[in-house]
Amino acid sequence: MAESIGTVEILDVIPEVDISDSVKEFAGTNGNYYTREFKKVQSSKSGYCWTFNIGSAVFGPLWATARGLWGLFWVFSLLEMVFLVMLGLGVWGELGADKFARAERMQTNYEKMMTRAETAREQGDEEGAASFEKRAENLAKARDKATAEGEIAAAGGTRLLVIAIIGLVLIKIFEGWIANIAYERQYSRWRGDRTVRSGLSWPIGLLGFVIIAFVYVVTLLRFTTANPPDVITEFPIGNTYYLAIASWIDYWFDLASQNFAFLFQGVSRGIRLILDGVETLLVGTPWPVVMAVIIIFAYRSAGPRVAVFTAAALIYIAVLGYWQKSMATVALLGTASFLCVAIGIPLGVWFARSQRAFNMGRPVLDLMQTLPSFVYLIPIIAFFGTGKPPGILASMVFGLPPIIRLTTLGLRQVPKDVVEAARAFGATNAQILRNVEIPLATPSIMAGVNQTILMCLSMVVIAALIDAKGLGYDVLVALQYAAKGQGILAGVAILFCAIVIDRVIQGKFKDTEKGG
Amino acid sequence: MNDNEKDIVIELKNAWKIFGERASEAMAAVESEGIGKAEVLEQYGAVVGIADCSFSVRRGEIFCIMGLSGSGKSTLVRHVNRLIEPTSGEIYLLGEDVMKLSPTALREMRAKRIGMVFQHMALLPHRSVRDNVAYPLEIRGESKSRRWDVSQHSLSLVGLDGFEDRFPRELSGGMQQRVGLARALASDPDVLLMDEPFSALDPLIRRQLQDQFMALSDQLHKTTLFITHDLDEAIRLGTRIAIMKDGRIVQIGTPEEIVTNPADDYVRDFVQNISKLKLVFAHTIQTPISEYKPVDGEDLSQSPRVSQDVDLDYLIDVATNTTQPTVTTDESGNDVGVVSKDRLLQGIRDGK
Repeated sequence: MAESIGTVEILDVIPEVDISDSVKEFAGTNGNYYTREFKKVQSSKSGYCWTFNIGSAVFGPLWATARGLWGLFWVFSLLEMVFLVMLGLGVWGELGADKFARAERMQTNYEKMMTRAETAREQGDEEGAASFEKRAENLAKARDKATAEGEIAAAGGTRLLVIAIIGLVLIKIFEGWIANIAYERQYSRWRGDRTVRSGLSWPIGLLGFVIIAFVYVVTLLRFTTANPPDVITEFPIGNTYYLAIASWIDYWFDLASQNFAFLFQGVSRGIRLILDGVETLLVGTPWPVVMAVIIIFAYRSAGPRVAVFTAAALIYIAVLGYWQKSMATVALLGTASFLCVAIGIPLGVWFARSQRAFNMGRPVLDLMQTLPSFVYLIPIIAFFGTGKPPGILASMVFGLPPIIRLTTLGLRQVPKDVVEAARAFGATNAQILRNVEIPLATPSIMAGVNQTILMCLSMVVIAALIDAKGLGYDVLVALQYAAKGQGILAGVAILFCAIVIDRVIQGKFKDTEKGG
Repeated sequence: MNDNEKDIVIELKNAWKIFGERASEAMAAVESEGIGKAEVLEQYGAVVGIADCSFSVRRGEIFCIMGLSGSGKSTLVRHVNRLIEPTSGEIYLLGEDVMKLSPTALREMRAKRIGMVFQHMALLPHRSVRDNVAYPLEIRGESKSRRWDVSQHSLSLVGLDGFEDRFPRELSGGMQQRVGLARALASDPDVLLMDEPFSALDPLIRRQLQDQFMALSDQLHKTTLFITHDLDEAIRLGTRIAIMKDGRIVQIGTPEEIVTNPADDYVRDFVQNISKLKLVFAHTIQTPISEYKPVDGEDLSQSPRVSQDVDLDYLIDVATNTTQPTVTTDESGNDVGVVSKDRLLQGIRDGK
């Protein structure tokens, strides 16, 4: 019964899709076999059914590479290698060899002792002879123990052999079974994407063979021989290069720090100037004034709840005698954040404008964020020495990336049509930046400022390492003397500083968002 | 003839835009070998945005450019104020060679001579409606009081009195686009460039804004370049229409010319379903009175008389009230033609 609508017939039985031609094209060789097996795999509901590929079972990883199944190649060769190592150990692994060798050494020593005991007895030294005999007896006991252990280990070899053989058989069955299922998936992918490997390729199979031969031989050598050659356990190069390069770097560091001393000192002085200003403001001003200003500011920008929290945090800091140190820390991080923002926003604008600058800058930013902080402390100490300005520089290395990234991101997210509209009304690039781009990127830039401040704060302990003082120093000292109480109190003070700054800025930032 | 030339406000001559790194090479090849769009893409990896476009817009005219997405119409309109630089060709605005302007002169022209309206409004979200409308004046450095006066006036033109201190997000899409229009009008420009201004709005609001825009246009007589993908809109608003396909202008004409005499199958496909009632006039379908042979029972002296310039819609109204064919007259009232009912039906269907 077939009705027809237009040219398409509506059939009672849906015809089967004929995949044979494309499977033949895909497989290259054994097309009929794969058509049959793929059909079987595709017919099973779970996608797994019983199918066995003898080629894969016999050649394992080699079949997988020849067919372009690199994933299977690694799985097959790894599994095979584990059991081949076991097999190797079982067959020629000299299991217990070290124990037998020890037993043998003890036997020699035992014989020596016995000889000495005999010599002593001949010389009439009965006491000495008894002592030597006693020692020989102990050696004999140890020898017997070692021999027994060696025998157990050697017997274990037989067990290993059995496990390895069973394992290999199971792996071969697995390899034969999984092959067609994996190959069918590759076929399905290949239908939509002709760059997927198809056909049987002997050259690539050969490459697989070379890899396997190399890996198997070297690995077996390493695990199954008592004394593998050094060349395979350690990279065959001494430390000559290492020492030469390290001293070369030393030389250049010294040269740079001598010749550019004026530059480094200038930077240090500049930072010191800003820091002194901020420090005078926070530390020099009487504490009630500073405290009141901070609480009022928190209230104005983030509401009564944050103000109450801020008051509590400041009282904690003051009661525990951290006031001076906290303000010094805030001055340090305030200077670092200010410099980050002052440098970071223009850089962010530049990166947003120039794709080339962004492409070159991005790896540097990644480096700044991923390099462990102790590593960049080294050049900072080399060039700037220790103290607060180098501490600020170290914080800046960590704090700059977020403000740059988020400024760039914010500017790039400004809708193109709004910028175009401003341009259509005759705006200059500077006007567009000031009136359109910066205002629209403000939420992102503010998030960047916030991130930067918190990043700088997270550096205070590390900055204390190079004598930047502040709360970080207390934590550092507590760490050195395992003074738990002091360390935790100082740590909590840092935490409170962070929370207060974060809340206040976020409150401010939400405000600007609301106001439009 | 000189008067005619003075009357031309916007003129593009053989404008080409080719996008891609090797645009200039591709342009040279186009000029010397005359290769097509496909070859440009294949040989130079460059995309032809607009190809050899020429048109001129007269003072007070609403010139519609109609095309589907990707036809290059938005690219074309951006050449007029050089938001996009042409790869080759000449552009004149109010008789000035736009391509020869210095950056400063170009900005000055954009700020004073041209108002632009965008498909997605492109308002500044952080500024009030007033500050948005006044933005072109702010760029020019006008005083705040002048900005407030002008924006107030401009907003009243588009019927948005009382919304000055709102923010764009507080307004509906239609109102936002009226703010966009007010902003374009704020600097009292000679030319309005409207890039699909009503396309993002729903049909009812679109219709309202079209009506409002037409009323405003009657009042202000701004020379307008109006981009749309909607032929109905082009016919409703346009004094003349240019139809674009694949970066080329395939036909320029009045709505009637386009509908009754499409240049090729592409345009014919477009106009097929357009109602001809308001676009086709009696003079197009009438039989000259000298050639008309009355059939039985017809007496032309009994026929109703209408001007030969009425449209088909009007003719239908007249014809339904009589058994006689309709007679058309010229300006001085002389009989010139006859429209029988058969001819009228044919005209409704074919437009000619």
